[in-house]
Amino acid sequence: MNVQRDPLVGKIPVTLITGFLGSGKTTLISKLVRHPDMRRVAVVINEIGEIGIDHDLVSTSSENISLLANGCICCSVRTDLQETLRDLFARRSVGEVLDFDRVIIETTGLADPAPVVQTLVSDTLLGAQFRLDGVITLVDAANGLSTLAQHPESVKQIVLADRIFLTKCDLVDAETVSELSQALHALNPGADLRPLSNGEVAPAALTQLGLASARASAATLSFLGESLLPQSPNQPQAVDSTATGEGAGRYLGQRTSRHDPAIATLALRFESPFTWTAFSAAMDLLVSLRGPDLLRLKGIVNVDGQPVVVQAVQHIFHPPVSLDQWPSADTGTRLVFITRNMDAALIRNLLQAVGAVGASAGVAY
Amino acid sequence: MYLAPQPAGRVDQTLSHNMKLLAQHELGGFGGLGEGMGIQLTKDGRRILWLAHEGAPKNFSGVDVTDPRNPKLVVQTDLPHMKLRSNSLDVVGDIMAVAYQATTVGIKPAGVDLFDISTPERPKLISHFDCSGPHSRGVHAVWFVDGKYLHISSGAPDFEPRNPLDDQFYRILDVSNPAKPVEVGRWWYPGTRVGDDAPPPARLPPQFDMGFRTHNTNVFPERPDRAFVGYIDGGALVLDIGDLSNIKVVSKWNHSPPFNGFTHTVLPLFERGLWIVSDECVQDNGADWPKLVWVVDARNEANPVPISTFPAPSFDAFAKRGGRFGAHNLHENLPGPVSFRSDSIIIGSFFNAGVRVYDTSNPYQVQEIAYFVPGAPKLSPAGAIQLNDVYVDERRIVYTVDRFTGGLYVLEMNI
Repeated sequence: MNVQRDPLVGKIPVTLITGFLGSGKTTLISKLVRHPDMRRVAVVINEIGEIGIDHDLVSTSSENISLLANGCICCSVRTDLQETLRDLFARRSVGEVLDFDRVIIETTGLADPAPVVQTLVSDTLLGAQFRLDGVITLVDAANGLSTLAQHPESVKQIVLADRIFLTKCDLVDAETVSELSQALHALNPGADLRPLSNGEVAPAALTQLGLASARASAATLSFLGESLLPQSPNQPQAVDSTATGEGAGRYLGQRTSRHDPAIATLALRFESPFTWTAFSAAMDLLVSLRGPDLLRLKGIVNVDGQPVVVQAVQHIFHPPVSLDQWPSADTGTRLVFITRNMDAALIRNLLQAVGAVGASAGVAY
Repeated sequence: MYLAPQPAGRVDQTLSHNMKLLAQHELGGFGGLGEGMGIQLTKDGRRILWLAHEGAPKNFSGVDVTDPRNPKLVVQTDLPHMKLRSNSLDVVGDIMAVAYQATTVGIKPAGVDLFDISTPERPKLISHFDCSGPHSRGVHAVWFVDGKYLHISSGAPDFEPRNPLDDQFYRILDVSNPAKPVEVGRWWYPGTRVGDDAPPPARLPPQFDMGFRTHNTNVFPERPDRAFVGYIDGGALVLDIGDLSNIKVVSKWNHSPPFNGFTHTVLPLFERGLWIVSDECVQDNGADWPKLVWVVDARNEANPVPISTFPAPSFDAFAKRGGRFGAHNLHENLPGPVSFRSDSIIIGSFFNAGVRVYDTSNPYQVQEIAYFVPGAPKLSPAGAIQLNDVYVDERRIVYTVDRFTGGLYVLEMNI
């Protein structure tokens, strides 16, 4: 026995809550912080005055950190998020704030969530203690479609979401909800879509979105999602949005966006293993040439036979996670990209070419 | 010097990160425990945790931890008199070695006992090896992992130290016949015994002078010819014990002075050529701070080089919290079937700063990955938790003990 640390399991999970102005974030947060299951959860809020917690306050340990009666820690952002998270962890370790096992962050309405993801991934101090569990995006059913059409930031919020809550569904007719749902699904078929009424949500619905352990289990499969599950051999190895017409095809890659035809989901599959050098070289090339158009990537890569989970948001790559074993019998490389104005064939050809060049690099003559 | 305001964290508050308390057991009111912990797998399938008490009147206790959420005290024994402490023990199969150290020299019994614990409820004495003498307090620590040799930090009837603080040295007993232990080797720091040719070693300043004597004397199956010795103010020593009649120093590293002495444990990580060296804090309220855990690059055993220290818990938060604050025991990667082993994850007890888990994958930048600081135990004279020792089993269950009243804490780590 030589026990090694799981690179993920001990880190404090962080959930980001995004949503455009008026999407119901403040309602959600003010309900959430009073929920009995919020014990040992720290909530980072933009403007604490807006949620009216005065009657639930037990103590205030500093100008921006308060403890509520249910054990929830409310923290308002002082200078920036980076500083706030560092401060929270440091105060926790000396007992100035109560121990917390999870962090929920409310981002500002106009925010592109990508820089927040970057903060968590690239700040080595934060990265050592926290991991991004997932992104929750709130969409106002009444104004969702017009917001998507007018504000590119809102599209980013959808594309980066792991779960989308549709709010204010009671204010619109079923047809609008259905049309919006289809538009959201087309932008991000991997995200789970749920209705949300008056901010009433169980905290558990905001958690367990991301990869929580490098030890493969049923949770790993659920994280990888339908799009990355095994295919039978007679199915195409790669499909792309140009292959079929608009609408919901059987495969994610066959589906195109009704909202923005430039944004597409591409599912690629490779049977030959990659070397890590070749895979990362291909990714570096892709990012350096088309980083802004590579909205999101999630997948499992066969690196010399071993499973490695990769995730990226534009040019920001999460640290790759080597799983202890394959989560199922399928040992193929499976990648799902959400891209803008890119052809699946280009990415497939790039990975195949660089993979082939890389594979022969180690052969001695 | 500006001291930051005392944090709001109080001694009654439990702090935890990636560790969860499964159970606490106060051991029938005798919850002051030393630094002897070992687990026995009994023939009937139980898991018994053996604990040495910090001092009289209790000798040792056996706790059934088969279900870690429901520990049960199965046996607790008494010392023959109040001027004795057991402090240290180790278990191999159904045999347990227990150390006995007296409060002053010349007291009997002082030495080491071997017990047959095949029926844990009724430990049977197999033999007593006498280490008492006019200049000996007996045995402070034992290391017993192979069933054949007992490595002890001990005085001896024939050993007169130049300085009374230097009364314990390294002795090796052959216990292949447990009824008749025989001394087969010994080594002491040159210059500490009356009659030595070497000059006496230079002492640390009086407030830190704790003696040139052995604490932990560890020998692992990976290198049966090496003893890893914490020699208190003499630093970390590695001895070549390939020839028991001619023991030689192969490595010597001492951070003191300028540091404040008391090297306690030298834990080798063989695959990586590293030693993890822990100090022991022996003074209250941070008076001997800093007491640290060191990472030493020993790929060249003739030239050990310190490369980092474990990130220490906050001085401001803990130094004045009550009792001692700083490093002490490490879980020592014991070779038996019920011991956690890792060449990267190190678990240590830090008195009032609790039990802490570190990832040394990058030896230049060790990370703290989990901790548990119990709230102050009831009636503790220190006024704060004083975690004294730690043992981790292969299920990753962490057992840690308080020095005064808190007894045993059973924890789960999420790493």
